Amino acid sequence: MTNLPLWLIPLFPLIGTVVLAAISLASTGSKKGASEGIVGGLAVLFPLLAFVSTVVIGWNMPTQGVQETLGTWIDIGSFKASFGFLFDSLSRIMLLFVTGIGTLITLYSTGYMHGDRGFARFFAYINLFLFSMIVLVLSDSLLLTFLGWEGVGLCSYLLIGFWNADVSNCKAANKAFIVNRVGDLGFILGMITLAMVSSDLLSYRELSAFLRDAANVELVNILLPIFAMAGLLFFIGCTGKSAQIPLLTWLPDAMAGPTPVSALIHAATMVTSGVYLLARLSDLYVLLPGVMTVVVLIGLLTAFWAAVAGLFQNDIKKVLAYSTISQLGYMFMAAGVAAFDVSIFHVFTHAFFKAALFLGAGAVIHALAGEQDMRKMGGMLKKTPVTACVMIFAFLAIIGFPGFAGFWSKDLILERLYVSGPMGPFLYMMALLTAVITAIYMGRLMVLTFFGKYRGGEESEKHIHEAPASMLIPMVILSLGSIFAGFLWAGLIPGANLFEQTLAPVVGQAQAAFGHASVHVSPWLFAVLGTIAAVVGMAVAWKLFANRRIPLPKGSSAPEGFGATWTFCFDKIHGIVISAFRVLAWVAENVVNRFVMMLQWLVGGLGELLGDFASGLQVAKVRLQMALSLVGVIALVLIVLVYGGLL
Amino acid sequence: MLLHVLVLAPFVAALLVALVGGRGTSAYRLSLFSAAVLTVASVALIAGGDATTTAIDWFKLPGSDASVKYLLGSYTINAWLVFLSCVLSLAALVFGKSATPEGEFKNFSVGILALLGTMNGAFLALDAVLFFFFFEAMVIPAALLMAAYGGKERKSAAMNFAIYTLVGSAPMAIALWYMVAKSGVTTAEGLFAFLQGQSIETQTVLAISFLIAFLVKTPIFPFHGWQAAAYAESPAPLSAILTGAMSKVGVYGILIWVLSLFSLNETFFTTMLWLGLATAVYGGLMAWRGTDVKKILAFSSMGHLGLAVAAIFTLSPKMFPAVLVLLVGHGLSAGSLFLLSGVAERMTGTRELSKMGGLVKSKPVFGFLFGAAGIIALAVPGTAGFIGEFLVMLSLWDVGPLPTLVGAICLVLSAAYMLRLIQGVIFGKANQCEENPVHLGVLEGSVIGAFLFLLLLFGLRPGIIYENRTPENPETSVPAAEVVPADSLAVDSLALVNESMNTTETTVQTTDSLAKDSVKANAEVTAND
Repeated sequence: MTNLPLWLIPLFPLIGTVVLAAISLASTGSKKGASEGIVGGLAVLFPLLAFVSTVVIGWNMPTQGVQETLGTWIDIGSFKASFGFLFDSLSRIMLLFVTGIGTLITLYSTGYMHGDRGFARFFAYINLFLFSMIVLVLSDSLLLTFLGWEGVGLCSYLLIGFWNADVSNCKAANKAFIVNRVGDLGFILGMITLAMVSSDLLSYRELSAFLRDAANVELVNILLPIFAMAGLLFFIGCTGKSAQIPLLTWLPDAMAGPTPVSALIHAATMVTSGVYLLARLSDLYVLLPGVMTVVVLIGLLTAFWAAVAGLFQNDIKKVLAYSTISQLGYMFMAAGVAAFDVSIFHVFTHAFFKAALFLGAGAVIHALAGEQDMRKMGGMLKKTPVTACVMIFAFLAIIGFPGFAGFWSKDLILERLYVSGPMGPFLYMMALLTAVITAIYMGRLMVLTFFGKYRGGEESEKHIHEAPASMLIPMVILSLGSIFAGFLWAGLIPGANLFEQTLAPVVGQAQAAFGHASVHVSPWLFAVLGTIAAVVGMAVAWKLFANRRIPLPKGSSAPEGFGATWTFCFDKIHGIVISAFRVLAWVAENVVNRFVMMLQWLVGGLGELLGDFASGLQVAKVRLQMALSLVGVIALVLIVLVYGGLL
Repeated sequence: MLLHVLVLAPFVAALLVALVGGRGTSAYRLSLFSAAVLTVASVALIAGGDATTTAIDWFKLPGSDASVKYLLGSYTINAWLVFLSCVLSLAALVFGKSATPEGEFKNFSVGILALLGTMNGAFLALDAVLFFFFFEAMVIPAALLMAAYGGKERKSAAMNFAIYTLVGSAPMAIALWYMVAKSGVTTAEGLFAFLQGQSIETQTVLAISFLIAFLVKTPIFPFHGWQAAAYAESPAPLSAILTGAMSKVGVYGILIWVLSLFSLNETFFTTMLWLGLATAVYGGLMAWRGTDVKKILAFSSMGHLGLAVAAIFTLSPKMFPAVLVLLVGHGLSAGSLFLLSGVAERMTGTRELSKMGGLVKSKPVFGFLFGAAGIIALAVPGTAGFIGEFLVMLSLWDVGPLPTLVGAICLVLSAAYMLRLIQGVIFGKANQCEENPVHLGVLEGSVIGAFLFLLLLFGLRPGIIYENRTPENPETSVPAAEVVPADSLAVDSLALVNESMNTTETTVQTTDSLAKDSVKANAEVTAND
């Protein structure tokens, strides 16, 4: 069977990066910059080609997937790694929405970034991001995944700090990169731990084969502590990239970047790589119940904490950022009870509704000429009806309103949590409570933005306008996704589990091995309870915020009082660690360095005294010192020769 | 032939430039042409695999029967270091045109070419005294260039540098003289054989005497007192050579003239491992606090080389490719950052990070190159730096998790200071600095572009660097056991160095061939007598 080669998929955005970077650099001299039409066209073309080739390859893919090795990367005898791609059902799903949503958001950006001086540069970064993300997902080994992993981090850094004339944007970008670097160390050390057993285990297929092979059972049992350590280290990497406790502080700050970036990188794709990695390593994680408990608890805590933090935000993008963190927490909870297919399903539906929410928020911000504080919004329903409809559909999806995408995926997570074992009911209750809070903070966002009266100035009210078609089309498509994507795996409808079937070859065996407690509860009960949670949350939000007078903001949009304490508690903890390093650096400079310098002066001073004493001539000091050291050397050599040695 | 050209031709070229250079442009063309030819020669050297010259008697060392030999040889590691010194000298000459005062370029290029000759000599010498000669000689052109064309504090920085390095190598001179006087030979192989008869204590004392010279040159904490000022005050092209090539003589010396010469005990290795790691952390912390752009880069270099030294003393079989890739990657990336920071200094009239900013807006191409060089220096996967640091971490893992963790912390530190540097120089707004009409020349930009391209290439195909290209010849291959006496501790270190060299199919490499070639050379000398 002939099929397209896999390297074609990452190749397109790579070409796009090079071409757009060249255009960007070449046009720096001209006043106007390159034509936006051509740049925008190219920028959308390459992701689109990647999407098309993914569809073609995915259509013809055999059940067990395709693996392609391109060549050797590192080969130093005891450590080998090669460039290789693996296209199976897991990477197919990831690639489809990465390239698909990536293309839509790129199209949206051509409208959003209109008139920006760095137009071409922006799309060069976006294409580079898509290239890295594709490599991350398509790679057949951990090391190559890591190339994409740091590559997406790098692009995230470049795009958060895109408006680099403002140093506060650069600081947010630096923070994102450095916090991610800390997580990446987990990834590197995890790889090194696995490589201790054998560098072959860095390949996903080899790792799965090794762990699944019945002949290796005893060996695997002996190696279990090593695998547990590797699993924990990889999870640290995931907490960095996917903004989980404790490495989550960078994501809210990352909203400093242009809104399409927040939608693409910090909501739909990059931040879900951690969930992808756990699913990819499912064969490893199901052997490690201890680590899985850590995963589920971290996911639970993150989901709850971020949902509460979302209640306190005034900045529309910050609400969505905390909401993303919270939803990622749900995905990790699912992964933590070995429901990898469900976690990927939530990644999939979340990509649609969260991207739609972000793009909608971007359209609102665009309409209000850059205003992000919800306290200055209101009544946008009438002024920007299309945007409002998109947002409402996505809102219903995220709170889990029956029939919408989020309903199906969240419901499956809750169900799997309940049946996961003795902790199940507790996990279920917490997740359900978090779902109520989700509905409240999202309801608050919708009420403050779209209902009531416009609270900005009258002057600005006149300029409010609906977004251009290039922005609306992607939003509408994504909102359709938010409505219908869930039917790929509608738990209540028999036979509507396409998603589960397609992922089964990759994660099915691992999930079966983990063994679910066989508690049988009617799925309808979960559905009803989930619906009640959504409706209650919505009602509370309406009651609390619809008719309340919203105090107009003074100064910044950051939360105050208890809200600030809650929101910034992890920043405070990071601050302590950073301070410790600052103290260390201070000591290095002011104590250690001074001491070394002092010693140096002492020795130097002695030498100079001797030198002055010895010569008294007006010789240049360098020459004198050279002569002196030479004399010293010769003298010592003579001593050695006469006495036959130093010792 | 290639070896002779690489060592002697720079001096000839320096003489030619000095004699016929005349006014600026012809000196510029001539020196650039010579450096370009030498760079090509160094690539040919790498491509040709191992090679040695016939030994030529140079002079009799007074007080001993030993006659010093003019003997050169190349194997994978020093061929690459020669490449670094050539290519960085070429870049320094390209950037030197605008970095030196009007009419001074001729003298500058003479200095750079002379420095290049001494560096190549030190890398390629197979005779200990010859090595020492070049090792000492390279200080002179470097110090003179620094004192003549540096920043405000250039005189004291140059003096500090000269005294520090010369005093640092005094113990080595004594130890070398002692060994030569006792054994009557000067070649590496001869000295190695002689040392096998000595007690471990004697060897340790001699090794430490050698080591101090290299620790100063690299530099390794706490012997770094000269470095920050020297790198900061040197003209930027010279700083690039100092960090990109000359500091590597220190690491090379540790690898070849300490580790494979002496038999040393466990304590020694552990101490050196932790000293290297301490240097890495210390360099990272100091760079993080730094306020002067070139000092930040100086401490960053110190940190990277500390990591390289730590990796060497893990004696892990993965150490050799790790260190080699790290050194080549660091030479190119630190070199380009130093060169660019020199341009930034001329653009803004300051080296203070807090006063600079906004260069990406006013000088987009420069900003792009600076940002790209900075990001590549972060060891992002796909660059040579990543391969180097990843393999170093793998080597550290062979010693234990704690050293690996310390190495990992350095990765975070390097991200912290490098992003701070990038932000300070090119992002934000211009801040209390001049906006001089200085532009990055086309040739200058292309040099940096080529460096960055090489870093990406080596990051994706590191095999280019660590593969041995010597055509296999079963007759000349000497099994490690024949060269290394089995009853010595040196078996550990030397065998490990050998083992790590045998990454590809060929069996005889580095120290092995070093020893083997010396044997051959010795035999020939005896026959001639």
